[in-house]
Amino acid sequence: MTKRAIACLGMAAMFGLFAATNVDAQDKVIKIGGLFPMSGPGAYFGAQDKQGIDLAIEQINKTGVNGYKFEVQYEDSACSPLPATQAAKRLLDQYKPHIVIGEECSDATLAVMPVMEQAKVPLLNAGSSSIRVTEPGNPWTFRIMPNEVMQGVDIATNAYKRLNARTAVLLYENTNAGIGNAKVFGDTFTKLGGKILADIGFGRDVNDFTAIATRIAGLGKVDVIPTYTLEGQGLRITQALAQASVTKGGGGQSIQLGTIWLPFGFEQKAGKAALGYVRIVQFDPTDQRDVVKNFVQSFKAKYNQDPTHINAHAFDQILVIADAVRRGATDAQSIRDRMAATKDFSGVTGSVEFDKTNQNIKMDTIHYMETLPDLSWKALGWN
Amino acid sequence: MSSVLLQQTINGIVFGSLYVLVALGLTLIYGVLVQINFAHADVVTIGAFAAYFFTFTLGGNYLASIAVALVVGAALGWLVNATIFAPLRERGSELLPLIATIGVSILLQNAMLLWFGPIPYPFDSPYSNEVIRLGGGTFITWQNLIIIIVSTLTIALLYAFMKFTFMGKALRAVAQDRETAGLMGINPSQLIMVTFVIASALAGMGGAMLGPILVLTPFAGTSVIVKAFAIVIIGGFGNVEGTIIAGLLVGLIESYATQLVNPGLIDIIVFTLLLLMLAFRPTGLIAEKREENV
Repeated sequence: MTKRAIACLGMAAMFGLFAATNVDAQDKVIKIGGLFPMSGPGAYFGAQDKQGIDLAIEQINKTGVNGYKFEVQYEDSACSPLPATQAAKRLLDQYKPHIVIGEECSDATLAVMPVMEQAKVPLLNAGSSSIRVTEPGNPWTFRIMPNEVMQGVDIATNAYKRLNARTAVLLYENTNAGIGNAKVFGDTFTKLGGKILADIGFGRDVNDFTAIATRIAGLGKVDVIPTYTLEGQGLRITQALAQASVTKGGGGQSIQLGTIWLPFGFEQKAGKAALGYVRIVQFDPTDQRDVVKNFVQSFKAKYNQDPTHINAHAFDQILVIADAVRRGATDAQSIRDRMAATKDFSGVTGSVEFDKTNQNIKMDTIHYMETLPDLSWKALGWN
Repeated sequence: MSSVLLQQTINGIVFGSLYVLVALGLTLIYGVLVQINFAHADVVTIGAFAAYFFTFTLGGNYLASIAVALVVGAALGWLVNATIFAPLRERGSELLPLIATIGVSILLQNAMLLWFGPIPYPFDSPYSNEVIRLGGGTFITWQNLIIIIVSTLTIALLYAFMKFTFMGKALRAVAQDRETAGLMGINPSQLIMVTFVIASALAGMGGAMLGPILVLTPFAGTSVIVKAFAIVIIGGFGNVEGTIIAGLLVGLIESYATQLVNPGLIDIIVFTLLLLMLAFRPTGLIAEKREENV
């Protein structure tokens, strides 16, 4: 063998070693697919989810977890079944993630679930409330937020027992989540002895809610109005109800009840009309746990704004995955298995422990708040 | 109940007026060009954003912002027609400009998404929450009163322009027969440009008044445009009077359906009406010969 051949072999060996090291470094990455609405009426979810996720990954990658760095690729799923399915397939085919997080809207999540199951890639959800996401149970789908039954039963019970409400009007968008949430509220409220005066569903293309507010104003005494809609329509509903003197914000008596769907800052946008609005948020920034204080501080430092609960639950999704990796997860299957065994996890929104359907059973992720006259809000401490 | 129905009539007229403003632009363009403009919705949205930024960023008066949105809409109509639609029409294809309107729509939506972001803007005019109580539980906000007044004036001016001015008559001539109008000394290309400018100005102005009612995002106009298309069909393609009546009718149907049935059924009712019109009265509510429409 000539010197030249030996040199070539040596070079090849070095390249081989370098390539192997490089592959090893590439393998030490947990690839996360982010399936969020970046367009359409739910796009505000995606924008805020991205902030929370980017912050969490930035923090985790400072040290890594068990030698793994985290990486995310986003796709626009548009809060709608067809684009969500297409986006999920694109992620799986091109990016080949170990886990996918998202979607926010139940219709989109339900459409994506079979795709993820077929690919045997876990889907971690934080924003879809439809019971069908975890019932009867899908081994590959996990949800860290309370489902519509947990939320609906809780809010209806609190409305009846704490607010002494006896009459209600259901207002909801005609989607899986809207219909499901309203139905659970209605069933629970009726069972407790309350009366549903009207059941009003509407499409996402409805712009003017004056007609709906007029109808409610004509119904007589309405104690509570549970409302299930995205932020944009929610704003206009709240303002229309106040203009028609139905709710406290317009000098009426009714209390509007809202859901996890609305972001922080809703009150400031709705203005005086939001006075007395009672709603669930998934995150209490006044919580004194270190994890919450650190999150609020680092979020403000990075984005120069206060975090919303959408930021918070997105942040928690990454922490839940990191927790599974810390316990030895390295690929899609082991991430699924370790996540299913999650116990005593404490994130910024609350605790996480999955039941056999992969639904988080902890109720401390439900926080109630009420809008005050200065449009700030106070935590009601009901859970 | 009668006061509730009166209130719903007021609500219906308010929203119907806005529908008319948006639909008139569509019907004008169809009347002259026999072309559907899918980008019309985005001109509405841009008009709303123009009014928003004029009012809140520049500290301008909201009423003045309606005029600003009108000018912005008109300028956009001129720009898009001059740079995209007119050159494509010159190639002699009817399909190319139609497809281009879809392209312009997607381009404008994504540009707005990039510049303005996806989070809804809290666009409340100073008149949005100022309520005039009319007695018997009925009310109207100042914003809605402004909508009715401005829409009525605009529609009257447009009607007078079309009926009594030389340019209006020329527009109608182009709508009847572009080639013959050209032989009579009318410049069809110039008239088409005028049509685009007027239609887009109406859309921009409609956006400024819709802004405080709509959920203002880069996709805001899309929710209105589907109804506007339905109104154009119910009123008769290219028929101005028919569009005005159909717009008010759809507004009233929405209000009464909300009161008497369920808002979830609004689209079913409106689009069933649309199908019935197509099946039994394709010329629209006011039957006219096609060439007399605009």
